[in-house]
Amino acid sequence: MQTQKDILKYLLGQVWKPARYTGNEWNAVKKEHSSVDLRMAFAFPDLYEVGMSNHGLKILYESINRNPGMLMERVFSPATDMEELLRKYNLPLFSLESHKPLKEFDIIGFSLQYELSYTNVLNMLDLADIPLRTEDRKGDHPLIVGGGPCAFNPEPLAPFFDLFVLGEAEECLPAILTGYMDLKRHGYERNEIIARLSTFEGVYVPSLYNPAYSGEEFIGMERKDDRAPEMIRKVTVENLDTAPFPKAPPVPYLQTIHDRAVIELFRGCGRGCRFCQAGYIFKPVRRRSRDKLQQTAKEIIDNTGYEELSLVSLSSTDYPHLEELINNLDSDLSARKVKCSLPSLRLDSYSIKLADKLHQGRKSSLTFAPEAATERLRKVIKKNITEEEIFTSLGDAIDAGWQGFKLYFMIGLPAEHDEDVVEIVNLCRRLREYFKGRAKRKISINVSVATFVPKSHTPFQWEPQLSMDEVNRRQDILRTGFKKLRGVDFSWHDARASFLEAVFARGDRKLAPALEHAWQMGCRFDGWSEYFDFSLWQRAFQKTAVRGEDYAYRRFSYDQCLPWDHLSCGVDKNMLIAEHQKSLAGEKPEGVTHDPDLL
Amino acid sequence: MTRICFNYARKEQIKYISHLDMMRLFQRALRRSGLPLAYSEGFSPHPRFNLAAPLPVDVTADDELGEVFFKEEIAPEEFILKLKKQLPEGLEIKRAQAVDKQAPALPSLVSAALYQARLVTVSPQLEVNIEAYRSALERLLDKEEILAPRSSRKGKRKTNVNVRPYINEAYFNGDEHEDQVVLKLLLQTGSRGGVSPVFVLEQLDFELGEKRPSHVNWNLHRVRLYRDCNGSLKPLSEGMCI
Ligand code: SF4
Repeated sequence: MQTQKDILKYLLGQVWKPARYTGNEWNAVKKEHSSVDLRMAFAFPDLYEVGMSNHGLKILYESINRNPGMLMERVFSPATDMEELLRKYNLPLFSLESHKPLKEFDIIGFSLQYELSYTNVLNMLDLADIPLRTEDRKGDHPLIVGGGPCAFNPEPLAPFFDLFVLGEAEECLPAILTGYMDLKRHGYERNEIIARLSTFEGVYVPSLYNPAYSGEEFIGMERKDDRAPEMIRKVTVENLDTAPFPKAPPVPYLQTIHDRAVIELFRGCGRGCRFCQAGYIFKPVRRRSRDKLQQTAKEIIDNTGYEELSLVSLSSTDYPHLEELINNLDSDLSARKVKCSLPSLRLDSYSIKLADKLHQGRKSSLTFAPEAATERLRKVIKKNITEEEIFTSLGDAIDAGWQGFKLYFMIGLPAEHDEDVVEIVNLCRRLREYFKGRAKRKISINVSVATFVPKSHTPFQWEPQLSMDEVNRRQDILRTGFKKLRGVDFSWHDARASFLEAVFARGDRKLAPALEHAWQMGCRFDGWSEYFDFSLWQRAFQKTAVRGEDYAYRRFSYDQCLPWDHLSCGVDKNMLIAEHQKSLAGEKPEGVTHDPDLL
Repeated sequence: MTRICFNYARKEQIKYISHLDMMRLFQRALRRSGLPLAYSEGFSPHPRFNLAAPLPVDVTADDELGEVFFKEEIAPEEFILKLKKQLPEGLEIKRAQAVDKQAPALPSLVSAALYQARLVTVSPQLEVNIEAYRSALERLLDKEEILAPRSSRKGKRKTNVNVRPYINEAYFNGDEHEDQVVLKLLLQTGSRGGVSPVFVLEQLDFELGEKRPSHVNWNLHRVRLYRDCNGSLKPLSEGMCI
């Protein structure tokens, strides 16, 4: 008899990067399944290299595995070559740590980071041989849970999930899991267990709510069960110093996207850019103390042996006394030649000074996101930097020896005109000339232009996305402009992928059949340009009588019910309306400079 | 300054990673060990550390070598003790010894490697026609030229290199595992040219043509590395090292 293990061994010899599936990394936690009361799989609907770069995974891995009675193992989307073999040999999707089929776990928790990974979620359930829809799952099937940013508007996924956890799960998850096991032990049947879980803070059980429509118009959620709360409020961690901190995360063998040690300086962001969902759903700003950071940084390096320590946050340079923290870290870690790094920088002189401090070595390139090229438009989106600040800080960076810059912009922002688009090219031209005068060496400029996607829970949630034709026209303006601008590298996002993202970012439950259909027709890894097939999606929409345009291009009115109105991130809708109106009035937002008291 | 040369084995659990992954794995294990590492100069300092020869993905090995430099005196026993604690399952340090700091770098000494390739089938019912394999191998070895694509240093120009001279020995041998087909390959490797065992097996499969059974995989194992000693091959782990 051939065992599954033998077949798996054989398959690993056939696939590209087999270490995506083998686990056994340093710090990977292996527990006997029979020695714990609860087994959870953390499922990331993208490749290993992407998922292993996610900080949330590391936090939850620590939060669950530190409980002696629980275990958490990992599973990622198999690449297409592995999927083909799993299907050919009829092998179920398995976890990295124990190589056990996902079906044998009590709970599977999906990390929902971006809309274009939704087909991978369905694919993973299917490969695990678990019914896709909650109504088809029986007592023995694992509980299917979703979390992460997309859980703030999970309606397109509602039929496939038993429940969602809104917000930061590291402290509440063990309690939810214990509650689940207790209910199971008491012999309640599946639906009753799930209904009872809806009373836990932050838990949203979509099957207890019925979306009501008047004609085509969504008019609100009807509760099917009195126990389910009318408004589900997100959970937040109050004190980061006492919250679980991943001090010994698994160290991948493969090079992952962010292959380094991470300490999180603070949660949330005080800047309040109006397009930015992260800024709103992670409110309020909470920071870790410097002592705690310093102490854990040392432990992480002891435990992992990483050569780089990244100080992450949504806007790391806003951390008060960051310079002092970096100095202290440097003196602790320099004997082991560990370098500190910051994921992104603000365009101000303070940040440049810090960047200079961090990079003792070759100064290849710095990354900045002005987002819009005109001051007027930057005010609309509340990205308050002046042109003068851009020039001064980039100039400082050049004096400090940097070789080039990556600049991120967006098109399709509310109140954008052609001038704003043309200005992206002009700004880059002015920068190029400015650099020529300032530096003797060649300075590289990389410009990446994304398309604005309106997101739920932001002041721009009512705004439409630009039509694809219009996006293409504005991209043409850029392409023509940049063709004439030598020495500047220009790249842009596929308008069709941004459209799909917008459809799902503000979608409702009517999208679920289209999603399922697209997956059935073979859509996978939609966020990867090499796999993205828009024609399949068009067919899926047609087949299921869904008009994607109605979601992406729609301007909602303030008094309209939105599919995520019952899910609260703690920011009042009236406040979002006020911010939205402020932005359109072109009103000057309060000046923000680097100010430690901002936090 | 101490220079320590060590032998290690790579087993099944850890065989699925590339040479670069192995380098990272060792460097991170060394950093965790707390040993007084010597670091390279330059913009991004890393521990002064070498592996004798890259192991391809999906290949196990018994007798590999590596070397590390320390800024202080370190006893080989202490080195083994501390590094062992930091290595994952499937990677085993066997012996270690201090060596002359002036001796040439370990990778420059390697000139050949002995491999064992075993056929594994996904389903046990599958018969493997050994005779077909034997004659395919004969045909392959009879060739005067076996061309392998190489890209130039900058990766721009592609050229073909005749790798037939780099196949020193290749023969089927049924002595240890009567029921399995075992192919032994002694291949030249290192700075003066070489050929990868994976490429040789691909060529063999190609020779088999239609006779190549589906659902069959090669299981590759590196038995040992050799250095050139006045024209004859000596195991690398004897002599200069240990
Ligand atoms: S600074 Fe960055 S993270 Fe903060 S709100 Fe603006 S875009 Fe979002």
